[in-house]
Amino acid sequence: MQKIISAVVADIGKVLLGKDHQVKLALACLLSRGHLLIEDLPGMGKTTLAHALAQALGLSYKRVQFTSDMLPADIVGVSIFERDSGSFRFHEGPVFSQLLLADEINRASPKTQSALLEAMEERQVSVDGETRPLPQPFFVIATQNPMHQSGTFSLPESQLDRFLMRISLGYPTREAERALFQGVDPREQLRQLRPRLDRAGLAKLQALVGQVKASASLLDYLERLVLHTRQSQECPVGLSPRGALALLHAARAWALIHARGHVVPEDIQAVLPAVAGHRLQSESGDGAQLVERLIRQVDVIAA
Amino acid sequence: MAYSGRLPRESLLWIFAAQFAVLLPHFARLPLWIVAGWVLAAWWRAEVSRGRRELPGRMIKLVAVALVVGGLVLSYGHWFALEPMVALLAVSFTLKNLELVTRRDAFLSLLLAYFVAATLFIFDQGIPHAIYGVLAVLVVTAALVAQAGAGSARPRRALGLSARLLAQSVPLMLLLFLVMPRLGPLWAVPQEDASATTGVSDSMSPGDFANLSKSDKPALRITFDGPVPPPEQRYWRGLVYADFDGRRWSQGFGVDPREGGQVFWRDNEVALPEVGPRYRYQVIQEPTRSQWLFAMARPHSATDGVGETRDDRLVRSEPVFSRLAYEVRSWPRDSINEVTPMGDFDRRRNLQLPDGGNPRAREWAARLRAQGLSPSETSDAVLSFFNQQFTYTLAPPSLGADTVDGFLYDTQRGFCEHFAGSYVFMMRAAGIPARVVAGYQGGEWVEGEEYLLVRQYDAHAWAEIWTGERGWQRVDPTAAVAPERVRNGLQTAAADEFMRDALVPLHRFPVLKRLQLQWDMINYRWYRTVVGFDSQRQQDLLRELLGQVTSARLALLVALPAVGALLGIWAWLWFSGRGRRAPPAARLYRRFCRRLARYGVERRPGEAPADFAARVGRELPHLGPMARSITTAYQRAAYADDPAALVQLRRLLRGFWPRLRRGPAPGQG
Repeated sequence: MQKIISAVVADIGKVLLGKDHQVKLALACLLSRGHLLIEDLPGMGKTTLAHALAQALGLSYKRVQFTSDMLPADIVGVSIFERDSGSFRFHEGPVFSQLLLADEINRASPKTQSALLEAMEERQVSVDGETRPLPQPFFVIATQNPMHQSGTFSLPESQLDRFLMRISLGYPTREAERALFQGVDPREQLRQLRPRLDRAGLAKLQALVGQVKASASLLDYLERLVLHTRQSQECPVGLSPRGALALLHAARAWALIHARGHVVPEDIQAVLPAVAGHRLQSESGDGAQLVERLIRQVDVIAA
Repeated sequence: MAYSGRLPRESLLWIFAAQFAVLLPHFARLPLWIVAGWVLAAWWRAEVSRGRRELPGRMIKLVAVALVVGGLVLSYGHWFALEPMVALLAVSFTLKNLELVTRRDAFLSLLLAYFVAATLFIFDQGIPHAIYGVLAVLVVTAALVAQAGAGSARPRRALGLSARLLAQSVPLMLLLFLVMPRLGPLWAVPQEDASATTGVSDSMSPGDFANLSKSDKPALRITFDGPVPPPEQRYWRGLVYADFDGRRWSQGFGVDPREGGQVFWRDNEVALPEVGPRYRYQVIQEPTRSQWLFAMARPHSATDGVGETRDDRLVRSEPVFSRLAYEVRSWPRDSINEVTPMGDFDRRRNLQLPDGGNPRAREWAARLRAQGLSPSETSDAVLSFFNQQFTYTLAPPSLGADTVDGFLYDTQRGFCEHFAGSYVFMMRAAGIPARVVAGYQGGEWVEGEEYLLVRQYDAHAWAEIWTGERGWQRVDPTAAVAPERVRNGLQTAAADEFMRDALVPLHRFPVLKRLQLQWDMINYRWYRTVVGFDSQRQQDLLRELLGQVTSARLALLVALPAVGALLGIWAWLWFSGRGRRAPPAARLYRRFCRRLARYGVERRPGEAPADFAARVGRELPHLGPMARSITTAYQRAAYADDPAALVQLRRLLRGFWPRLRRGPAPGQG
């Protein structure tokens, strides 16, 4: 099992050069059945990452480019009257896929955004009074332009909370970029990616995440972290129980990716910026600095 | 809205509540305009907080101060008394509302509120006031709590915290109550206390005692130490009337200490009888606004400020403005053998009669005198006359100009003052020195003879005659007519008339009467234990606790509980603040980190074990591998719950300490 995970990471690493950490985070996010939000400038490889993940894990993949004039039906699907059969037939929207890449989600109107987010939370959609389950697994990678760019509707806090993680890819290192220039076209690499897992394998991995041991000492550390966010003057909004649970799930997945049967504080520290960064709003600057301070201030070892 | 931002509305409301709570008992006592002033100031401040009005400017404030000073002068006219001082305090407290802007002002106002609350006890120290005082302090403290912001102003929270704070301060309060030195007042502030009842006054004219008989207010409470006098001996003498002007009996000039009457203030000024006193008792007297005290005949008191007069009474150096306790020893006249002969001045004083009037009484007296009877035979003759013809009643018919004649021959109905007055008149007219004595007679036992409660309706007047060989002797002419008055009290003697005018005839319901007595007993005990805890009793108690009162022992008494309490608080904080005990692996790892910190590598709080181990490896290379394996063992023990790893961690650490002490091996840097 461990081999498969490292193989997947290596495969994607070939496409997205020098971004192992982000690849692992994305994988951890997927393994803990969460959705991923990638926030970055255009052209940083957001789409590539999503596509590579889908390929490597053998998931059906669809991509929606969000625009400001999109309607919920464009995502969910619509019932169309067919003259042949004389009845309405539901045409599934792009949401009916295993991995959905919602590109530039903050370009769509809030109404459309919330249609997607509802689907993410419930893992089902209701159209014309009929509830249709989404395929299993269902994994959304949404990308978002940084907020200050023009023509964007920023996601409200409650909807940001639906994403297990928010990561940003960032510019590649010099070496990685040089390799990119010299190497094969990433799109070509992408095509060559072969799935390492089938659906059952993925489900099994996801089940394994739950079995990773989180000891009392670790939960103590988690509690201290969460408590700190709720009591510190710096954090106007503390981490919700859902956020705390997300942190634990992600840390478990992270431990699994690193071939450990138990979670250690380093796992929590590794996933904390991605999991908590978008949940902790701070009045000054973004959550990243807040999380950094949080990691620095909260003692890892019980007093 | 300029000011409302600084003091939130809830905290303002709390301040008003606190002010109202402490001023409420004063409202009845203070002039009405001060109440109105408070309401106006509070209303104005409330309007400011609602943004409808600005805070008053300097001019308005000056005008307000001027008005208030003028009002105080008009209302009181004099300054150096308690009431105007309290009024001044209340008024300045009220005006402070107009300057209530910042939190600091709020604190000032509330601290002043504590002070105003304390002034309640100047006027009354009874249980209801004490309870009210505690409630007022509770509200003021809650108001103080409410200033802390962030939801602290919610009533339940503020009152709850306030109650907790007060409860926590109770031990300190008790300690201070016990050891705080009781300072006497620096100066006596005259107090206009409407609650003081005059009771027996310094003169007696027809009708005085009838008024007293309508009041069931307590006058004296007496506790005996040793033998208790029988009911017919319980005559609490307060005043001696020697001067009769035809209608009114009074003390006469030169008897009252204020008029230069001789008083023996010090113990050794007057020789005490050689035999010991028969009765020892303590009297707690309600405020009377007069100087005379009450005791059985031939009294002596060792209490400071209490002296004896030549006519065997006790007086106090100052009027009794608040409840007063004094110790008395009494030698009944029959226990004293030697008699001081009567001087000319006293003889003349006690034979004094107005020049004319009451011819029939004088004529009868002259007849008795002509018969050559002894003083006691003359007295018996008059008493038997009373006994045959007279009726004891609380509602006597009015008398004409010649009161004695009118009573003896016409109406023949009356009560103690009529009998005593006429009797003394007769005696004097017959040439026997006699005087009227006023005070209380009898009393009612409370709680199985714990103390004797003497009420205003026990006020009584009787007579004393000079018998030459036996000196002054008490004669109670009322006893000749209504012996049950002396034996069983007024209620039996005048059952139908007793307390007839009372609004609520409590005395007719035994249950209510018993409740009333119970309440009096609770009050009495409160006074004895709390209010009456003066410096003398404090000394006694401290001596009992410490054996000998030295400053070192006193300091120990204060310091020990204080240190104990502090230790307790410290221990409590230690145990509760520590929370759960950290698991063993974490404790071991912490020790590992502490030891390393001594060698200059300190783990930062947020530094995870693996990162720390890596850093140790960089900074102290010779310890690197060891630190790594210890960290791995710790991680397995703490996060994988591996018991074997814990054992391994212990073993590794045991090996690590010596390595750490030895320092880097030579050549390794």
